Amino acid sequence: MITTTTPMEGAMLKLPCLRSVSRNTNFTNRSSNSFPWSYRRLHISASASASASAPLVEGPKLGPGSLGHITRSDFPILHQEINGLKLVYLDNAATSQKPRAVIEALQNYYEAYNSNVHRGIHYLSAKATDEYESARQKVANFIHAAEAKEIIFTRNATEAINLVAYSWGLSNLKPGDEIITTIAEHHSAIVPWQIVAQKTGAVLRFVNLTEDEVPDVGQLRDSLSSSTKLLVMHHVSNMLASVLPMDEVISWAHDVGAKVLVDACQSVPHMVVDVKNLDTDFLVGSSHKMCGPTGVGFLYGKSEILSGMPPFLGGGEMIADVYLDHSTYAEPPSRFEAGTPAIGEAIGLGAAIDYISEIGMQQIHDYEMELGNYLYDRLSSVSDVRIYGPAPSRTVKRAALCSFNVKDIHPTDIATFLDQQHGVAIRSGHHCAQPLHRHLGINASARASLHFYNTKDDVDKFIDALKDTINFFTSFK
Amino acid sequence: MDSSSNLNFPFTISCTPTKLNPQFCPQKPTFLTFMKYPSSFLTISSIPTKPNPQSCSKNPIFFTSIRCSRNIRHGLSSVSCLIMEEAPLDERLSVVDKVRSLSLEFRSLSEPIDRVKRLLHYASILPPLCESARVQENRVLGCTTQVWLEVRMNSRGSMNFSVDSDSEITKGFCSCLMWVFDGAEPEEILSVTAEDLGDMNVGLPKKGRSRVNTWHNVLFSMQNRTKDCVQERKRALSLEDLHSLVIRPHEHVGGPSANGSYLESEPKCSFEVK
Ligand SMILES: Cc1ncc(COP(=O)(O)O)c(C=O)c1O
Repeated sequence: MITTTTPMEGAMLKLPCLRSVSRNTNFTNRSSNSFPWSYRRLHISASASASASAPLVEGPKLGPGSLGHITRSDFPILHQEINGLKLVYLDNAATSQKPRAVIEALQNYYEAYNSNVHRGIHYLSAKATDEYESARQKVANFIHAAEAKEIIFTRNATEAINLVAYSWGLSNLKPGDEIITTIAEHHSAIVPWQIVAQKTGAVLRFVNLTEDEVPDVGQLRDSLSSSTKLLVMHHVSNMLASVLPMDEVISWAHDVGAKVLVDACQSVPHMVVDVKNLDTDFLVGSSHKMCGPTGVGFLYGKSEILSGMPPFLGGGEMIADVYLDHSTYAEPPSRFEAGTPAIGEAIGLGAAIDYISEIGMQQIHDYEMELGNYLYDRLSSVSDVRIYGPAPSRTVKRAALCSFNVKDIHPTDIATFLDQQHGVAIRSGHHCAQPLHRHLGINASARASLHFYNTKDDVDKFIDALKDTINFFTSFK
Repeated sequence: MDSSSNLNFPFTISCTPTKLNPQFCPQKPTFLTFMKYPSSFLTISSIPTKPNPQSCSKNPIFFTSIRCSRNIRHGLSSVSCLIMEEAPLDERLSVVDKVRSLSLEFRSLSEPIDRVKRLLHYASILPPLCESARVQENRVLGCTTQVWLEVRMNSRGSMNFSVDSDSEITKGFCSCLMWVFDGAEPEEILSVTAEDLGDMNVGLPKKGRSRVNTWHNVLFSMQNRTKDCVQERKRALSLEDLHSLVIRPHEHVGGPSANGSYLESEPKCSFEVK
C-alpha cells in the first residue's frame, strides 16, 4: 500500500483573499460581508482534523461558504444552462475552467499590448516581453524552481515531454539503456519514449499495478539498476487518482544515477509541488489544467541539465548566431523556444497562477481531498458501480477524481445521458491511458473529476443524475 | 454467389417518439421504406425488441417498410412502426431520400431524451455481429466506444455492411447508418456528407470533425472502405480468372514507426465476383 507524501506549503494556511482575485462586484460584496469569516472559522476547525482521513461523509469544509461556493462566481462559464439544466462541470482532469482574472488578462494583452516578444524595441514589445518573462517567473515561483530560466514554455505538457525525449533522450540514450515508466501513464508519457527507444535501442520497461490498483513502487524500486537512465512517471494518476510518493521514488532513481521526469499534469493544479524538495530533473505541466489558457504548458529542467541539451526545434529566437552552414544556440530557455511563443496565453497562465496562489494551494488541496472523499463515498454507494484505483483510507489519499464503470452500461452511454438529460459533464473513454485500461480488463471508463470550484451540490447532482441514468438504461434492457 | 440471397426474414423497426411528428407520422401513416433488399417485398410484421443472437449473420437483415401506431413504452406515449407493406421496387427510397427522412425524424425529436430513446430502439433491432467479426482489424478508429464494421461489395457492385458496437447509443447511430447505406451503390454512399446527417446528432454540434463523434467516424469508415472496394473491383475486373478477393489492411511504404503504423482508415473490404 502506498502512503502519500504530499509536500506541504508551510504550517500557516493562507486564507483566501478572494477580493483581489475576483472582479465580480456582486461577489466581492457578498464575500466581504460574510464569506471570509465563516470560511476562516470553517477552515481552521477543519484543519485540525485534516490528517485524519477515514472516508469522509460530509466534512465541515463542504457546507455553504465552502471554497467551491466562494470561488464558483469567479468562473463565468459555470453559470450557464445545458439543455435547460444548470451545468455541472466534472471534467476537470481533462481541462479546467478559467476564472475571470485569466480571461481579463488575455483580453488585456490583446487589447492593450499585443506585440512580439524579445524582438522589438518599441513600447508594446517591451511590455509584452516583460509580462511574458514575468509569467515565466511566476511559474518558477509556483513550483519552487531556483530560477526562471529553468522554465521553458511549450504548447502543452505533451510537447514538454517530447522536448525532453527528442533533445535529452536522443542524445543521451544508447542501446541497452533502460527507461522505466508505469503502465498507468498518459499516452503523452509513453509514445515519445517508444519513439526514442526505437531510435536509440534503449529499452522501455513498465511497472505494473499493485493489487490495490496503484503503480507498484516496490516493483519500480526493484527494477532500478545501473542500466536505468531515465524514470518517467506521473505524480497523480488521471485515471486511478493515486498519488505517488515522488520524493522517495526520485531519490531511489538518483541512487542509480538515473534522471527523472515527473508528469505533474494532475498534481500541479491541485497541490503544492516543490521541484527543489522533490529534486526532480524534469517536470511538466499544462496551463489549461490549472485554470490557465490552452496553448501553453511548461517544462521545468534543472539548469545544468538544460544547458547540456541540444535544441528541439530550430528557428527564430533559439539561436545566438546563424551562418549558412551552422548556427550557435542561445542559452536555455530561449534555446528551446523556437519561433513566436503563445505570448498572451503564457501571460494568462501567469494570471491563473496568481489566482490559485492567492487562494493557496494547500487550501485547494485540503478542500479537494474532502470533496474527493465525499465523491468517492457517494459513488461507491451506488449499486453496480466499480471505481478504479485505491480505496481511500487513513494512509492512502486519492486525488479528487473517480474513474468508474457501471455494470452492463457503456461509459459513453452514461456520459451522453448525463449530459443530455442532466447537464452533467463527465468524461468517458480511455482517458489517453489505453495500456492501463487494458490492464484493468476494460476498454473504457467514465470519469468524474473535481476542481476547487466544485461544490458538494455538484457531487450530489451528479450522483442523483447517475442513478437516474442507470435506471433509464436498465429499463431498456 | 450473391451473398444477400440467403436472407429470409425481415426486421421491423419500432420507433418510440414521445411526440408525434406531423411530418413523420401524419394522420394517414406514411410508409417509410426501411428496406434493404429489393427482392424482399413481402414482409411480415415481427417486432423484435432485442437483437436476436441467432441472427448473427454475415448478411444482416434489415428493415422493410414501417407504419406508425401508438403504444406505450417506458411510460411515454409512443409510436410503434410496424412493417407490413408491400413495397414495389420503384417505391424504394434512395439514399438521399433516406438521409432526408432520417434528418426529418430526428429533427422532430426536440427532447434529448427522445432522441436517445429512439437511438436505443434502433440499437435494439440491429442484428449483432458474430464474435468472430469483432476483431481488431474491423475496428473503426477514433471512437470512445468500440465499433466493428464489416464491409462487402456484392456481385452487383452494391455495398453491404455489418456493424456493431459495445455502446447502445453508438449502436443506434450505426443502425441508422446501416439503414441508409446497406445495399446502396458506392456513388450514393460517397455522396453523403456528415453535415447531411447532422440532425442525427445527440448533443454534439453539427459542424466539425470530432474524435468523439462516433457516427462521423463510422460514416467516414464506411465511405473509405467503399472507396477501397471500388478500387479493388476495378482492378479485379481488369484481371481475368478472378474468383474472390479480399483486400487486406493497407501496408504502408516506409514501414511502421515506433512500433506503430499509420491508420487512417482500416480498410477491410471483401467483395464477391461471380
Ligand atoms: C497525467 C497527464 N499527463 C499528460 C497529459 C497531457 O496533457 P496535454 O494534453 O495538455 O499535453 C494529461 C492530460 O490529460 C494528463 O492527464
